[in-house]
Amino acid sequence: MLAGARLLAVAGPIGQFLPAGGIQRGSTVALDGPPGAGSTTVALLLAAATTSVGEWAAVVDPDGTLGARAAAEIGVALERCAIVRRVPPDRWPTVVGALLDGVSLVAAAVPPGLRPGDARRLTARARERATVLVTLGPWPVEATLRLHARGLKDWSGLATGEGLLAVRELDVRVEGKKVPAHAQAG
Amino acid sequence: MSRTGCVWCPDWPVIAARRRADDADLRNRPLIVRERVGSRDIVRAASAEARAAGVTRGMRRREAEARCPEAVCVDADEANEARTFEVVARAVEVFTPRVVLERPGRCEFPTRGPSRYFGGDDALAAQIRSGVATALGPDGADVRIGIADGVFVARLAARRSVVVPAGGSAEYVAPWPVSVLDGEDDLVSLLVRLGLPTLGDIAALAPDAVLARFGSVGRRIHALSRGIDPGPSVFVAPPPDLVESTELDPPAERVDIAAFAAKELADRLLERLAERGLACTRVLVEAETEHGERLTRCWRHARSEYGDALTPGVLAERVRWQLDAWITTGETTAGITGLTLIPDEVVPVDGRQLGFWGGDQVAHQRADRALARVQGMLGYDAVTTAVVQGGRTPAEQVRWVPWGEPREPELPLSIGPEVAAWPGALPPPFPARVFDPPLPAELVDANGDAVAVNGRGEQLRPPAYVRCRALPANGGAVRAWAGPWAHDVRWWDARTHRRCARWQVVVDDVACIVVVEGGRAGVEAIYD
Repeated sequence: MLAGARLLAVAGPIGQFLPAGGIQRGSTVALDGPPGAGSTTVALLLAAATTSVGEWAAVVDPDGTLGARAAAEIGVALERCAIVRRVPPDRWPTVVGALLDGVSLVAAAVPPGLRPGDARRLTARARERATVLVTLGPWPVEATLRLHARGLKDWSGLATGEGLLAVRELDVRVEGKKVPAHAQAG
Repeated sequence: MSRTGCVWCPDWPVIAARRRADDADLRNRPLIVRERVGSRDIVRAASAEARAAGVTRGMRRREAEARCPEAVCVDADEANEARTFEVVARAVEVFTPRVVLERPGRCEFPTRGPSRYFGGDDALAAQIRSGVATALGPDGADVRIGIADGVFVARLAARRSVVVPAGGSAEYVAPWPVSVLDGEDDLVSLLVRLGLPTLGDIAALAPDAVLARFGSVGRRIHALSRGIDPGPSVFVAPPPDLVESTELDPPAERVDIAAFAAKELADRLLERLAERGLACTRVLVEAETEHGERLTRCWRHARSEYGDALTPGVLAERVRWQLDAWITTGETTAGITGLTLIPDEVVPVDGRQLGFWGGDQVAHQRADRALARVQGMLGYDAVTTAVVQGGRTPAEQVRWVPWGEPREPELPLSIGPEVAAWPGALPPPFPARVFDPPLPAELVDANGDAVAVNGRGEQLRPPAYVRCRALPANGGAVRAWAGPWAHDVRWWDARTHRRCARWQVVVDDVACIVVVEGGRAGVEAIYD
């Protein structure tokens, strides 16, 4: 593989705050934040970066709550994005492992009580298969990058009793090696 | 799935050979049509008398001649078969303009319109049968017509000349042997050895089990055995600018001149489709003559339900047959001046195109394998792709399609260019988390009473607090809100009728959609 192809370039404002403007293949990105803080949007942005270069992505969504309309709006090519639902917690590591073998990016919501050993094995498998593993929720072990979604600063467009949600600002803190500390994306 | 009729003339090569030679000797004696496949010399078709003596399709010629020594043996002539079949196509065209030819001896047509006009499927089948039989004269004794849901079942129905009622496909195909799965010889013999001799046996298996064992082919055969025509997995509207046409000057009077032009046209069409990553499974051939006659015929790839598409050679051959048929049967009264190929059904090419590093195909197969494996682990429906479709609520706007099934919306996104479809649907941005059904919540006003709307869709007091376990800190004070949008949808249908009101609210820093229906509030979506 070419050196440049090791990097999965992420377009848009969020890419500017990632080291080298993207994510190294084979790395693990741990993403967290309270509900409504924008962590799903960040995960979808990364999935969009994968499908827009013609590669396949998979989203593990045990609760089945992912809004596909939002995914399409963010730029995910839905025909190349498999969404795996109804994953029992005990089979979660097996399923994510199988997906890491097949696609270029796996975004998975972490089930409660994931064992650190399983998490470490998946990190290693992602590195070995040169697949990006994006985890949503508390990730019990080390990750190449940690992104904390810290809430949407301002919702514009909505007032009391009128208007519609329009623009939002995403506040994400990026932690890892060689990273500028703080990102704000519109 | 659309109702489809199929006209089948058994032993067409025999009929075609007899019609071409038209000498009494061929008519009165058993006839064997042979063809060369690779280095083997085998039987392509045999007349009823020869078959009674034990000659079967695919048998070696020497053996066939030994079994039926009095038979006349002639070489197969596909061009002649196609040319003579034009008579049948024209007889069917009297009843419906949308005849699709597949190979000489078999054609298909959608029956929805003509059935209604001619008084039902049975009446239509009977009329077409007598029409074709009249056109064929003495050779028209055995014309079979089947009508069913989808092409695959219609073809099976044509073998027995029956009309399969709508929705009765699964029941009809169940007793058929697996050998009717055309062109999957290795798989068929494996299925028989596994103790699955009929389509019903396959249909009785769990779809994920078949998928896990046989991969994507398994998915197709499982669908076929349930009487569902999977079709090419994805349809694409043919791009309108891909029509290829050419003018012939001087007009072509002879088949070979027109066919030469057709060859070039076919190459160009498929090349331009390939540039866009598309392939063609059905094509319209159009010719215009000096006298202003316009002739059109539709050809389809015989195995398009297995995902195969036309190649330049196959397409050029079909166009040549068609031109030959028009010119030699005297349907054209003057030379051909113009020739047009219109792609009628195009599908994305999957896997046939190699990326620079062999990328595309390999990546696709790798993804397909991994996802099929997960389907085997969790069940067929657990691995999905989303299709955006029309609807008002965020949950309605998405259809979840199991991985590998055709991605088609159930509800249209728009109805024509002028009418705004789905009035009351929420505009973008769309919420990234959608709860279906909504999560129980409380929407209360400043006094702590539940917010409700009156019969006119107006709220009595504005919302002040939202409480729901899905929100951080279980909810909080409403900072901004809009609404309510009252919906009274499908009031004409008691089963799907819904009356509800929706608010867009920002609770602390979290934007969400709250719905109140029948006095109960729920959080429907969170902008995450």
